Amino acid sequence: MRATLIFLFLIYFTHSFAQEENRISVEKYTLTGYIKDEKNGETLTGAMVSKYGSNIGVSANEYGFYSLTLPKGEHIISVSIIGYKTFTFSVILDQNINKIFELKEEGKNLDEIIITGEAEDKNVSSIEMSTAKLDIKQINKIPAFLGEIDVIRAIQLLPGVTTVGEGASGFNVRGGNVDQNLILLDEAPVYNSSHLFGFFSVFNPDAVKDVKLIKGGIPAQYGGRASSILDVRMKEGNNKKLAVTGGIGTVFSRISIEAPIIKEKASFIIAMRRSYLDALVKPFLKDSNPLKNTQFYFYDLTAKFNYRINEKNTIFASGYLGRDVFAASVFNFNYGNTTATARWNHIFNKKLFMNATAFYSNYDYLIQFGSTNGPNFKWRSNIINYSLKTDFIYYLNTRNIIRFGAQSLLYNFKPYDAISTFENANVNFVAERRYGTESSIFVGIEQKIFEKLTFEYGLRLSIYNYIGKGTAYYFRDTIANTTLPLQNSKNYEFGQTIQSYLNPEPRFSANYLLNKSSSIKISYNRMAQYIQLISNTAASTPLDVYTIASNNLKPLTADQGSLGYFKNFKNNMFESSVECYYKYLKNQLDYIDNADLFINPTVENQLVQGLGRAYGTEFYLKKSKGKIQGWISYTLSKTERLVRGISNDNWFYSRYDRTHCLNTSLNYDIAKRWNVSANFVFLTGVPGTFPNSKLQIQNINIPYNTDGIRNNYRITPYHRLDIGATYSFKKNDTRKYQQTLVFSVYNVYNRRNAFSIYFRTKDGEPLQTEAVRFSVVGSFIPAVTYNFNF
Amino acid sequence: MKPINNFLFFSLSLFLFSSCEDVVQIKLDEGSELIVIDAFINDLRIDQKIRITKNNSYFSTTDPAPLTNAVVSLKDLTLNKAYSFNYENNGNYVYKLINSDTIAKTNHQYELSVSLNGITYTSMATQKRSAKIDSVSAILRDTRGGGFGSTKDPSYLCLLFAKDKTDSNADYYWIKTYKNDTLFSGSRDINVCIDGTGGEVYDVNVDSTAFTPPSAFLGFNRYNKNDVCKVEIHSISKESYFFFIQALAQINNGGLFAQTPENIKTNIVTPIGAKTKAVGQFNMATVVSAKKIIK
Repeated sequence: MRATLIFLFLIYFTHSFAQEENRISVEKYTLTGYIKDEKNGETLTGAMVSKYGSNIGVSANEYGFYSLTLPKGEHIISVSIIGYKTFTFSVILDQNINKIFELKEEGKNLDEIIITGEAEDKNVSSIEMSTAKLDIKQINKIPAFLGEIDVIRAIQLLPGVTTVGEGASGFNVRGGNVDQNLILLDEAPVYNSSHLFGFFSVFNPDAVKDVKLIKGGIPAQYGGRASSILDVRMKEGNNKKLAVTGGIGTVFSRISIEAPIIKEKASFIIAMRRSYLDALVKPFLKDSNPLKNTQFYFYDLTAKFNYRINEKNTIFASGYLGRDVFAASVFNFNYGNTTATARWNHIFNKKLFMNATAFYSNYDYLIQFGSTNGPNFKWRSNIINYSLKTDFIYYLNTRNIIRFGAQSLLYNFKPYDAISTFENANVNFVAERRYGTESSIFVGIEQKIFEKLTFEYGLRLSIYNYIGKGTAYYFRDTIANTTLPLQNSKNYEFGQTIQSYLNPEPRFSANYLLNKSSSIKISYNRMAQYIQLISNTAASTPLDVYTIASNNLKPLTADQGSLGYFKNFKNNMFESSVECYYKYLKNQLDYIDNADLFINPTVENQLVQGLGRAYGTEFYLKKSKGKIQGWISYTLSKTERLVRGISNDNWFYSRYDRTHCLNTSLNYDIAKRWNVSANFVFLTGVPGTFPNSKLQIQNINIPYNTDGIRNNYRITPYHRLDIGATYSFKKNDTRKYQQTLVFSVYNVYNRRNAFSIYFRTKDGEPLQTEAVRFSVVGSFIPAVTYNFNF
Repeated sequence: MKPINNFLFFSLSLFLFSSCEDVVQIKLDEGSELIVIDAFINDLRIDQKIRITKNNSYFSTTDPAPLTNAVVSLKDLTLNKAYSFNYENNGNYVYKLINSDTIAKTNHQYELSVSLNGITYTSMATQKRSAKIDSVSAILRDTRGGGFGSTKDPSYLCLLFAKDKTDSNADYYWIKTYKNDTLFSGSRDINVCIDGTGGEVYDVNVDSTAFTPPSAFLGFNRYNKNDVCKVEIHSISKESYFFFIQALAQINNGGLFAQTPENIKTNIVTPIGAKTKAVGQFNMATVVSAKKIIK
């Protein structure tokens, strides 16, 4: 069946190329180049370059490059991007032309149009579905927690995105676990996207250009995670003049500097943040308080450099370094990510564009108890990635864009390395390093079948090898939900393959334009994931360890289909969409009851793999013009799992299942210098496993769930209102110094939203048991932040 | 991992100031009926008890309902000798030691059988060796500094010094502490350990040489002058050790990084086809003890 389909595609494909060639026997030339912001020289991604009055056009790729082939002759070309003045010009195409467009931002503060550089009706006309793009200007207008805007918190207001609760690391997309999101910072994966557990993300908003979240219809160039891609692109740095942006907030301060090195050719940006909560708390603690000498902070540094060598070659280097530190006299815990990316954009010819990337990513943590001289315990863990990849974009003609490429990735990680010292005697618990390689090739074709119908289809082929050096453990099967007994183990040399997996990942999307303002889209994608997070806690913790596919653990695969209707109203003032999705997951990790997940070399016999399914409908309405802007989204969904031996072999709700999700975010330019904003969210409470009885053994009252059903209850619904107001100071005429003051109140009506409900024995009364609501944010939180840029 | 999680949780609370916990009223369904068997037998020269009750609804404030019509028997498989336990009160089935030897012997294998309404529930256990106590000592609680559990009143804390058998076998212990013959019986006073190290040694060839002072720290229980601190080390099986670890994890499982609640494992076997399931724990212990009069 699959072969037949591929065959049919091929026939159609060649037919369509032939048609194209026959129809246009006239000479053709190509217009190529980059699209940039006139003010700072930043490339603009996704801008639409089209022949005026027709729907022949192309959108600039993620590096701002475009290539448009048209018949010889005079054409009126328009370059349109929301937020920028549409640029229209006439060109006589009698040769191939290279042109850089520099676009002016539209309007000033008051009628500033937000949303990223996209053509106005792009949500309807483009092939993308289940995709949300936010630019930093838009994120800026959302009332922020403690006054600090944040990429990941902004994303959580989009349909289909939830978390298990406040303060939880990561986010869940369409019923996927937190580890099923590929979070890319300039193409390097970030393993822990959180600072302070989950209150802030690692992305410094001053250095971020735009953020794209792909929940469905994932194109073939992306792979490696089952549920979503969060593609965060950093600014390149102003290549026209020095610019400084910064802010002083309640929790941390930040500063970023960007400047040209060679005007319009090379530039850099360097952005830093550091929190100072520990310093603020210190004066309020008594000398005797054991927390007096607590260190409690995070910092991060984001930097990027780019050099446009010539018309055809541009190189980029970017990096991130961040760390969270919690330390007291007898305790030290810190964790952080490091990423480095080097990239080369090369234009082979007017139709062929290449990006080559090499990256390194490292996530590690250290935890230490005890004093240096006395008994102590030290534990480290890390995960390192090295990767090389290339992507080619071939602009075959106005109807066909072909992307193809390859990637190779090495996983190298240390599950744990623990040393415990008692009386000068060391006991080491050192896990072997584990290695895996993931290689993939892909091809994807975006093809306009006819005026109203566009297809994007492709295939990604991923090959994974679990390799030595190391010991592979083999277990015997036994009763479900119990530890598998060890049968034997085998040592492998470095590079020797222990287990291989091959996964073809077909991708397909289609867009049928019903009319100028509405379309129907459909998509299917299969994703394979070779790395999963081991966590059996309510919220994933920075201490969670990743594990790679092995002889015992199969790779996770996800099949997802989506269907959507997209409609714009009032000359694209309102965008709306309804999307339905169904996702089926195989080999999702779960844990046997009472699993022993820490410092266990045979941790794989504590893990089980099961099925997952998630389905739902997402409604979205957005207004992106005028004084009042914002969006409202509602998601009705269900997420379940089925694991042998758990919950009596029945489907059970996943920990992050939320039936109803309502998110609204509005902002209003109320006066010349004032912008006010508000968010309201309502989410069904997450499920929890509650006991229905207790056992009294040795005077302990042990909670017990006689039905054995996991996640059998729900905690109370979550709802919250946040408000914010931004005051923009009058600009200094002589200098371009701009200042804003941001006031915000989080959780305005002081609701104690439950993070979880748990059960305990009353203090001092062993017979009495009670239910306790645990709230992470127990009151409203006001904050003020001062921002500047010049 | 509990201390780490607690610390994470604590740090986070500090950060937010506002994180909070309140007791809430919720309605829970009534669970189906279970038989709860609490069988911790030891070699002390006291009456040995096995308690058999029903499970209780979670918020109940009364004692669980006793099951009075069981036939309870403990069989020493090594000696091929059975001892029957007779119902006394409050769910307790008792074997009285009258001028007889203790029924619990180190290295012997035992089978427990409980027959109720025609169904026999069973469990097996081997009685493990215990450690050797050197001494119990008392130290004056430092009243100057801060630190958790600090106090202004002078009081004493007790430490246990004991020697663990060193060979390739891991030993599991339950350390029970008494003040003037009253057991500290709260859930926070449950003190179980492996080879005295407080952590599992996965490589069974590694056995720590001793209880590392003060690894057998007897909790924050305070003593005054003339109090008697008595300590018992009960040998327990690996299953019983994990039973306590799991039970302790379930009875106070809150915070941001709380684990998914799970039913504890049991070593009581319910025969296939039985309508009512039995849960609980059966353990045979060798006990060593020592006491200290605080002067």
